[in-house]
Amino acid sequence: MKVGIPKGLLYYKYHPFLITFFNELGAEVIVSDDTNKKILDEGVKYCVDDACMPVKIFHGHVASIIDNCELIVIPRIMQLWKNEYICPKFCGLPEMVINSIDNMPKAITDPIYATSKKKLYSWAKLAGKSLNKNNSTIKKAFNHALTAQRNHLEGIYDQGYELNIALTGHAYNIYDNYSNMNLVRKLNDLGIGVITAEFTQEHILRAEASNLYKRPFWTFTRENYGFAVNAAKEKSVDGIIYISSFNCGLDSIIIELIKNTVPSFPFLILKVDEHTGEAGINTRIEAFADMLERRASDENNISTHG
Amino acid sequence: MYYLGVDVGSVSTDLVLIDESSNVVEKIYLRTKGNPIKAIQEGFNILRNEYEDYEITAAGATGSGRMIASTIIGADAVKNEITAHATAALEIDNDVRTIIEIGGQDSKIIIINNGVVCDFAMNTVCAAGTGSFLDRQAERLEIPIEEFGDYALRANTSVRIAGRCAVFAESDMIHKQQMGYNHSEIIRGLCDALVRNYLNNIGKGKTIIPKILFQGGVAANKGIKKAFENQLGFEVFVPENHSMMGAIGAAIIAKERVKKTGETNFRGLDLAKSSIVTKSFECEGCPNQCEVVKIYENNNVMGYFGDRCTKWSNRTRENSKLA
Repeated sequence: MKVGIPKGLLYYKYHPFLITFFNELGAEVIVSDDTNKKILDEGVKYCVDDACMPVKIFHGHVASIIDNCELIVIPRIMQLWKNEYICPKFCGLPEMVINSIDNMPKAITDPIYATSKKKLYSWAKLAGKSLNKNNSTIKKAFNHALTAQRNHLEGIYDQGYELNIALTGHAYNIYDNYSNMNLVRKLNDLGIGVITAEFTQEHILRAEASNLYKRPFWTFTRENYGFAVNAAKEKSVDGIIYISSFNCGLDSIIIELIKNTVPSFPFLILKVDEHTGEAGINTRIEAFADMLERRASDENNISTHG
Repeated sequence: MYYLGVDVGSVSTDLVLIDESSNVVEKIYLRTKGNPIKAIQEGFNILRNEYEDYEITAAGATGSGRMIASTIIGADAVKNEITAHATAALEIDNDVRTIIEIGGQDSKIIIINNGVVCDFAMNTVCAAGTGSFLDRQAERLEIPIEEFGDYALRANTSVRIAGRCAVFAESDMIHKQQMGYNHSEIIRGLCDALVRNYLNNIGKGKTIIPKILFQGGVAANKGIKKAFENQLGFEVFVPENHSMMGAIGAAIIAKERVKKTGETNFRGLDLAKSSIVTKSFECEGCPNQCEVVKIYENNNVMGYFGDRCTKWSNRTRENSKLA
């Protein structure tokens, strides 16, 4: 059976799990191409107007593979950690897609609670049943998929650059090089190394977030806030870049929290939407690079005199 | 010896020549009118009557059209607008701490500490409160944009206009106009709204410390300057060449660059006579289908833009190395 997996949203985080699981179940896995103009255009065409761009792009990925698969995976991710939730658009994603795109194949839309192995397995069982597999095959595929996910280290940790920035934001903005206009490569070309959140340990992210006046409700808030603030306090980087999709509700809060905690640390917010003109983003990152460079040399000047 | 700075913005294209001590000896302000190449050629045509190529020993480009400008003029330095504006501001006034810059489509705040840019912000995807919006409103009210500020100063009361969004502002202005407020009051209300929006959006979380310089095309609008002063409680200074600051910065940066390298890439003012044509095509090399622009000068290819993978634009770099 051909199972389609759209390369959008949290695919960028959990692709080893999804691909291994369905491969091990004996399915032929069809993954959509990297985001491109056609996928974006189709996404904008099908998706409800007020969704954020990553959700629209996800629709485009679905539309690009429905003719090639008999079953499609639309992960309804509800929870990744206990007592925390993720953006509500993920809960309603299957409904948005199924009601917007015609001629959809059968879809796996069972809710995913990834708070424990046991809870995640109950999703795996339902998904496996959609392919008419027995329990022992599902169990085996599930264990392989978990191992693949654990062995896969996502993230960017550039070395050998004079200046480095912490790149923060949702995985689908950081790793989708079409929507972020090759941001990482652009920064590298300007002589700036990039470090992402995956290299900061979970307990450090938690410790930073626990200083907030209230425990964050959202997993993304805790991760992005914890990473950015920790990087600034430890001075492990020279600046923070937050890449955010236009009208993202979570980002609007996370960005303010970061600014409040480390107000004088260099912080650049890049808003992306459907733009393909790159002048705006180039101006901002070039100016940020100039600023970091000059700040660095200015601080050095002071220290030699002092 | 003169140094050329070219700032190709969304609304205007500015050219300046500065001398060794960064004094402005020539300034040309042109409307870009959607055709940056033609605007640059027009500017060069004016310069040709007064200056010879050998007198211009460095050229710099800035503005959102800086890539196209740099390719056709042969720039020694290509810089973003933030760095260019800050460089120019620091050149005329060492004490500047805050730069407010409002151009055709962008607005920016630049915070300076110890003579170095230490923070900046730009408007996000929205162009409310920038020059192009003011232009549009001036046109709608049939008031020359140059007189817009005077109208605002004449009003005794300010009408409240929604400033968050250009579309909201426009409908609010129309509603107020239908209620019988006069032009002056509405324009003053608009200036207040734009400044409120600027401080809330771009200036959010920034500590604005005097001395404050107000640069960019919109600085010519006395109504906006006054609204800034009222809301900030500080005097706001508008430099004499406020609309040229980007170009001046680019010229200064180019001057410094050429002093290091010892030679210029400047291709000369005869560019004005060249026939420059652009053609665009959709690259079929991969599913991205980038819209690539190809520029020809007298039937020779000068360069390419717009490709994500740099397959085409790398040829531009190779060309310029050869030249």
